[in-house]
Amino acid sequence: MRFYLQKIVFYVVALWAALTLNFFLPRWMPGNPVDILISKLSAKGPVTESTRHALELMLGTNSDEPVFIQYLNYLGSVFRGDLGVSVTYFPANVTDIIGQSLPWTIGLIGVATVISFIVGILLGQLAGWKRGSWLDNFIPVTTMFQAVPYFWLALVLLYFLGSRIQMFPLSGGYDVYTVQPGMSWAFISSVIYHGALPALTIVLSSIGGWMLGMRNMMVSTLSEDYIVTAEAKGLHPRRIMTAYAARNAVLPSLSGFAISLGFVVSGSIVTEMVFSYPGIGSALLTAVQSNDYALMQGIFLVITISVLGANLLVDLLYALIDPRTRVRA
Amino acid sequence: MSHFKKRSLAMSVVAAATAGILALSGCSSETGGSNNSGDAGASAITVFNGATGAISENWNPFSPTMLQPTQGVIYEPLYYYNLAAESEPKSLLATAFSWNADGTELTITNREGVKWNDGEPLTSKDVAFTFNMIHDNPALNTSGLNATATATDDKTTVLKFATSSFMQEPQILGNQAIVPEHIWSKIADPTTTINENPVGTGAYKVKSFNAQSYVLEKNPTYWEAGKPEIDTVQYISLATADAASAALIAGKVDWMSSFLPNLKEMISTQKNLSYVNTPVMTTSLFTCSDAALGCKGPQTDVAVRQAIFAAMDRTQLNKLAGGDFAAPASPTLLLPERDKKWIANPSDVEVPQTSDVAKATGILEAAGYAKGSDGIYAKDGQRVSLTVQVVAGWSDYISAVQVLTSQLKEAGIELKSVQLSYNEWSGNQTKGTFELTLDSIGLGASDNPYYTYQPRFNSSTTAKVGEDASTGGNYARYQNKIVDAELAKAAATSDEAAQKASYAAIQKEVVRDLPYIPIYVNSTLSEFNTDRATGWPTNDNKYAFPASWKSWDNGIVLKSLTPAGK
Amino acid sequence: MEQTLEAPRASAAAAVQPKKRQRRPRSAKLMAGLIIAGAIALFGILGPLFLGDPNAISNDTLAAPGNGMLLGTTQTGQDVLAQLAHATRGSLTIGVLVGAMAIVASAFFGIVGAYIGGWTDETFSLITNVMLVIPGLPLVIVISSYVPDKGLLLIAGVLALTSWAGGARVLRAVTLSLRNRDYVAASRVSGEKTWRILMVEILPNLMPILASQMVFAVIFAILGEAGLAFIGLGASGTWTWGSMLFYAQNGLALRLGAWWWFVPPGLLIAVFGAALSLINFSIDEIINPKLRDQTLAARKRWNTPRTKKLTVPGTEKTSS
Repeated sequence: MRFYLQKIVFYVVALWAALTLNFFLPRWMPGNPVDILISKLSAKGPVTESTRHALELMLGTNSDEPVFIQYLNYLGSVFRGDLGVSVTYFPANVTDIIGQSLPWTIGLIGVATVISFIVGILLGQLAGWKRGSWLDNFIPVTTMFQAVPYFWLALVLLYFLGSRIQMFPLSGGYDVYTVQPGMSWAFISSVIYHGALPALTIVLSSIGGWMLGMRNMMVSTLSEDYIVTAEAKGLHPRRIMTAYAARNAVLPSLSGFAISLGFVVSGSIVTEMVFSYPGIGSALLTAVQSNDYALMQGIFLVITISVLGANLLVDLLYALIDPRTRVRA
Repeated sequence: MSHFKKRSLAMSVVAAATAGILALSGCSSETGGSNNSGDAGASAITVFNGATGAISENWNPFSPTMLQPTQGVIYEPLYYYNLAAESEPKSLLATAFSWNADGTELTITNREGVKWNDGEPLTSKDVAFTFNMIHDNPALNTSGLNATATATDDKTTVLKFATSSFMQEPQILGNQAIVPEHIWSKIADPTTTINENPVGTGAYKVKSFNAQSYVLEKNPTYWEAGKPEIDTVQYISLATADAASAALIAGKVDWMSSFLPNLKEMISTQKNLSYVNTPVMTTSLFTCSDAALGCKGPQTDVAVRQAIFAAMDRTQLNKLAGGDFAAPASPTLLLPERDKKWIANPSDVEVPQTSDVAKATGILEAAGYAKGSDGIYAKDGQRVSLTVQVVAGWSDYISAVQVLTSQLKEAGIELKSVQLSYNEWSGNQTKGTFELTLDSIGLGASDNPYYTYQPRFNSSTTAKVGEDASTGGNYARYQNKIVDAELAKAAATSDEAAQKASYAAIQKEVVRDLPYIPIYVNSTLSEFNTDRATGWPTNDNKYAFPASWKSWDNGIVLKSLTPAGK
Repeated sequence: MEQTLEAPRASAAAAVQPKKRQRRPRSAKLMAGLIIAGAIALFGILGPLFLGDPNAISNDTLAAPGNGMLLGTTQTGQDVLAQLAHATRGSLTIGVLVGAMAIVASAFFGIVGAYIGGWTDETFSLITNVMLVIPGLPLVIVISSYVPDKGLLLIAGVLALTSWAGGARVLRAVTLSLRNRDYVAASRVSGEKTWRILMVEILPNLMPILASQMVFAVIFAILGEAGLAFIGLGASGTWTWGSMLFYAQNGLALRLGAWWWFVPPGLLIAVFGAALSLINFSIDEIINPKLRDQTLAARKRWNTPRTKKLTVPGTEKTSS
């Protein structure tokens, strides 16, 4: 029990540290939201000095409170679930914007990451088991896909499969022309159809990493004494592969997986940009470009919590799978 | 064994997935082919107005983050000012206006027979209410309006100003949405409402909204008989210019305004696509010009600015950086085509299009500069070496700087560049901590030169280096007593001849001093698809500024369209 | 040594898949990787010396390859080949810098912390976790606000700062498991010095992971820079593969059919990445003799039953 308690205390501290950084990072950034808003407005029509005054009044950005008080207020409101008001989408709440865009990101990139991980681990396990097989030799090809800049691959695929042969849609999360969002089959199928190409590019570009990592660990694990023992006992080769070798070899990948799950959110920026996909990545980009502190902090918070949460989960799982980890604590 | 089995499993998964994708693409191409014609006979078009990412609902015409069609399409102003061509204000919700002699009282007659889209009639009470609400709520007062309004009868509104306010005219008449009193008097906080189901007088009203797209539908009670003709207008969000160009070519967008290099070739094969180019933004090298205000560097010498002006090969700049779409600029910073009547000296209408190195070096030598062994001019040990700041990622500007670097080198002027983030770049501009910066002179409230000259040249809109100049203001740190005095004179009269005389005096000063060195008038490209609708603005008929992101003009364009084939 | 080991290995592989062509010897993999990566590196080092100014403009815009321009020109008439050479230099610099910094940091925080345990581990782990949750993108923007010229080194530093933590996390997990093994415990009991245990007992076991992480750190850095450049936040004023792609994409190169502008930088990244992977495949076989011998031994032992099963897949189904 002490092990789990220690872990949880540790994560609380980590969360606090992350929250604190989260508070100060945007404050160190240059410029302020009013400037950006004004420059956007000036493209649409004339702006005067009164515009600035009016906007400052409206957004309430002239905060004279000391930073420390702001910090305490921030911590307090985070725990109340109040993330403030977005400047870019004024007067919408940050929670609403995140709530609206997060499902898209998790749905597309989360699912693609899971698929990529599972398939990659299975293939990597086979490649490591059968070193020198065609699958093992295939790994350089998949690693090459991984080494292609993601957006480059995505743009090329989008150009050929979307623009040229028109097999996939060009942009968006669903067909905005004919379908209304809702729990209808028309909407769901449209979402799947629109998500297919982005998901494909994500799987193509990330599967090589999982395969290579798993294969390397598999090779490493296969030299362990207990594998030899298992073999000597006359166990079935597949049982050795899955229950003995793979179970141990998958451990590092598993912790890598936790991290990559957490980064689903921030890694989505480029995907969502290329495919004009609605989601939290494009929201983050908008927030960064507009100095929208509240929205940025809100999205950072989502990233923070998801990474920490995933890590916590894996730490607990780890202790379950690998009893040696527990012994120490 | 296992790899054998897993492989066949994997293959069947792939096969199933492919089949699924094909089935999906098949079924969607059945419905997707005729994407914009849901009902038989209904006409619909799709607009991309530059929205990226999720869209947040906000139909509040006083909010800085309102959805762009709020102004002009749903709510209308009293008059429409067309900035694309030389024109008089066009009557919308008002049919007449008049000033008293000293410019402190503006009488507005509103149009009769206009109905809000909930059926209530528009009266002068609504007009007066709108202006009084702005006056009473500083957070709404983006134009610095200082007037109280009274409705003297059902169709007459009188605005009383504290001081002479002729120059507020385009702001009041052309840049203010009129809202219904019977709705807005009940709204508790007009600054934070998102005004769902907006009640306006415009040609369209909201049909549906979600975060990826929204649809406007025809207002059946619109006051202009027979308009609009298009039934629904859909607005969509796209992330990049590449996505926009793909959507345009695929026929998914009917109207958008993105800069697409090689646009001519791109749409040459498609008869249904056309574009119109309306250059209005004068791309210029802003110089920190006045050493008395703390500016440092060779550009504080007017001879250096004049030499740079002469050494530019604007034809090459346009070809390599402007996509060959830019129009010639005027050294007066007005638009040569639209503002001809305001430009006093015919030789100041257009800047020279080719470089004149001999002239540039002549100016420098006459000012006491001598060419050094490195080929760069110098005076008193100071080389004519300047740093220009440009926003990282603004590729056409970066190209322009690269082209300028090689052109100015010919004339013995060294140009270095530094790429900065937008925030830093704009911070340097307002603080004056730059030598040269590449930016553009934007649109004014109307085509009266006052709205270009007042913010850019008046010494009241500048500040010492290190202090903030006003927004969109005199970043060049230009001070000139003649200019200040003439601007004050022009503002105090509504007599065009008197204004012209003032502007002529100003132009004489700024054309010589060149605090902003004009390069070209950058293009604004708007692309149209004529498959579903016709009647778009053309080069011959710029009845509105055709950019899909422009407020107010959007409403004029949409109600001028007719369904194709009618 | 290499050769004697290679012979039985190749025959073993041949026995597994008698009908397929013989696997290339692993040194060939290594050679291929080294040659490709070396050639690209050489291009980056020497290319800029011979090819012209990448910023030089000309009126010959968007010209297809030919006419003295081996890879054509960009929208402003710049020589793509010259840009590519400078970009290669820039990207490789970032890759090497970040790779070195990240691997040192992740090894230090991951291995040392996990081995020593206690508060050291907790502190290191805390730092690692905090680094993991800092989004790199805004960090770049924040840091760049303090530095007037957002150069290559700065971007490399930021990428390194945000890229070591993942590796440290993996290394820590494996080290935790290794440190409880009997042979490590035995060394500890016999009074071995901590650094010696780390170097001799722990580190060799981590080599495959370290090697693959080095590969990933370099690729990550190059890709990370490319990604930042793509959204307009890359190193400014320096040519990298990423900044080339940014300008190509901004000029809609792909849509205009200017493949000579859009394809080469992306392809070079991919080929370079693949070459590094090839090297990586060989690293684990060369560095760790124990791994190599055992695998071969294991292979010999398992060879027969497995090939037999392969031919009778039907029997598998019943046993599962």
